[in-house]
Amino acid sequence: MIGKKAFPYAMITPSMIVFCLFFIYPIGYMIYLSLHDWNFVSPVKDFVGLSNFTSLFSEQEFLEVMRNSLVYTVLTVTLTTGTSLGLAVWLNKQGIVYRFVQGAMFSPHIISLVSISMLWMWLMDPDYGLLNWFLGLFGLPESPWLTDPSTSLLSLVLVAVWKGIGFNALVFIAGLQSIPRDMYEAASLDDATWFRTFWKITLPMLSPTLFFLIIINVISSFQVFETIAIMTQGGPINSTNTLVFYIYEYGFNFFKIGYASAAGVLLLIVVSVMTFFYFRLLSVKVHYR
Amino acid sequence: MKHFLSVAGMFVMMTAMAACGEEDAASGSGSGEGSEGENSDEKVELTYWYAWGDKIGENNENLVEMFNESQDDIHVTAEYQGTYDELHAKTQAAFAAGDAPEVTQNEIASIGVFAKSGMTEDLTPFVEEDDINMDDFNPGLMGNSYVDEKLYGLPYLRSTPILYLNTTMLEEKGLDPSGPETWDEFEEYAEELTEEDATVGASMPINIWMYEGFVAQGNGQMVADDGESVTFNEEAGVEALDFLQGLYKTGSIKIPTGDEAGDVAKQDFINQHSGMHFSSTADLSYFMEMADEQGFELDTAFMPANDTYGVPTGGANLVMTSELEEEKQEAAWEFIKWMTSTEQTAYASEFTGYLPSRLSAIETDKIQSLYEKQPQFKVAVDQLEYARPRPMEEAYPEISNVLSDELNRAILEEDLSSQEALDGAADKANSLLQ
Repeated sequence: MIGKKAFPYAMITPSMIVFCLFFIYPIGYMIYLSLHDWNFVSPVKDFVGLSNFTSLFSEQEFLEVMRNSLVYTVLTVTLTTGTSLGLAVWLNKQGIVYRFVQGAMFSPHIISLVSISMLWMWLMDPDYGLLNWFLGLFGLPESPWLTDPSTSLLSLVLVAVWKGIGFNALVFIAGLQSIPRDMYEAASLDDATWFRTFWKITLPMLSPTLFFLIIINVISSFQVFETIAIMTQGGPINSTNTLVFYIYEYGFNFFKIGYASAAGVLLLIVVSVMTFFYFRLLSVKVHYR
Repeated sequence: MKHFLSVAGMFVMMTAMAACGEEDAASGSGSGEGSEGENSDEKVELTYWYAWGDKIGENNENLVEMFNESQDDIHVTAEYQGTYDELHAKTQAAFAAGDAPEVTQNEIASIGVFAKSGMTEDLTPFVEEDDINMDDFNPGLMGNSYVDEKLYGLPYLRSTPILYLNTTMLEEKGLDPSGPETWDEFEEYAEELTEEDATVGASMPINIWMYEGFVAQGNGQMVADDGESVTFNEEAGVEALDFLQGLYKTGSIKIPTGDEAGDVAKQDFINQHSGMHFSSTADLSYFMEMADEQGFELDTAFMPANDTYGVPTGGANLVMTSELEEEKQEAAWEFIKWMTSTEQTAYASEFTGYLPSRLSAIETDKIQSLYEKQPQFKVAVDQLEYARPRPMEEAYPEISNVLSDELNRAILEEDLSSQEALDGAADKANSLLQ
């Protein structure tokens, strides 16, 4: 009898151990560190209360970092979801051409972000890069890309969108194909315009997919790190410094673990609040079948 | 009960499988070590971490291999760890995890941070025991070795910035190929070398190390002697930034920005888009090869003087991590001693272009014949007379970051004056030093 009751617990024990060890414990430790002043190796951790948080918010650089993160996230998410939705509607057809384009579009998703960053750095080189040569062909003005504060963040958004479109479009196509045909047949019997069909049938039926993609895109954009670490190191003049890179910089280059942890706690709060917000508010409007 | 038994059975199986896996892994690595040398069990195993690849990486790997062959008691494994920043971050993390390499490099401005936080070992007793002649190390390079009067690092791959000249381009413009000696001459040279859409005088990203040099040339300092405040916003610092701004405004220098700025500047010089180039002496071998390939003559000169000549030193010192067992300490010291001895110093200097950090190494036949054949190597050694140590404050990496942002801003935003930009950076830096 004991065996029967213990059985489910025994089965989830391994995953619970992993979960506690690699998620709960680090989060707890980070919150603990955020209240201390520590340089990573000194045996003493000075308790400083909330002063790490107050200095975060009085730091001009940190406010810029938060602004960069927000701009990056909003642009990346809207552009990625918007473009891939359009592409998905276009590609949701049978035929060898469509299959090929789907495959080609998906390929960036399987390449490591490090390789992608190196590749785009070459493409975006202001003097010898392919992109400026290409702009030149059409007589367009050259862009400084990553080397100027006014274009650097946008350049990173471009890379993120390029990388994200394939995966997003694939999920959208799967969503489109699960919409029952008879709804479109009914709509065409009623002589509905293409736009009306899209607005009244496709989009509502697709809303669970859209909802899911927006959440994962927002979270992953807020956590962007690799492209920044490799392509810009947060520069020029702090213009591409976002939250996770900022945490890394303070933790591992300046060895201010307490301060970096405080920023980490903030990231945790932002991501949790956003997820909660989406689940509570948007799920009311999402159409589930 | 039946369920319980099956669960228990599964656990037993899983543990058994896991154990098998471990055993495989253990025997696998064991046989790997065995094949390297028969008496490898008796040797003391050391790990040595180094920064930078290419020629510099080869130099490290070669020296370690030579050390392993030179004796039978110690085996050193050299591991590449990227840039200085990456090397420092990894060392710090490894130390916190109790898995630090026994011997590693500290970029010289970081000697203080590592020593003060107790990550590196005081080398004074070892030096005294073995009666090492510390006067043989070039005094110009010892400014970043002592913390609180204790020795924490021995000079290893050390450098200063020097001015590289494309003398072929200089001669075409009718300029004296020995190069500019003062800032005014540098400005003239840069203007002469500039042709719109083709060439510039120099391609030079904003770089704190170089900026330290310009400040030194105006008899200024980055940080006050007491380490309580920064002084780069005083006259010498402002003059240095004005100098850069002036050159940039007339278009006679290019200032690449972004993460790859340093490489862009190097490429510009190699491709003869720029006639002069400030860079570490560590790049000398590389530039000589490239100049040969591209078909131009290369020479080196002192960084030009403002009120005086002046350069920061750079590069890495060898350090031993703390909290080692005695056996490992002895072995690590043997390795550090060997790496920084006269013969190895001469080898490394010839192989890379780094400075020979020992005076006796300069006297060796190897270095003497090198200077005879290629006098470009000698310039950096002569320039050491004007060398300054780098600031070693704990907050200096963060201060550099702040300062570099402000320098870039002053260059890119036309209505921001040098004084304003530097005062802004100094305010922030001073609060970091408190």
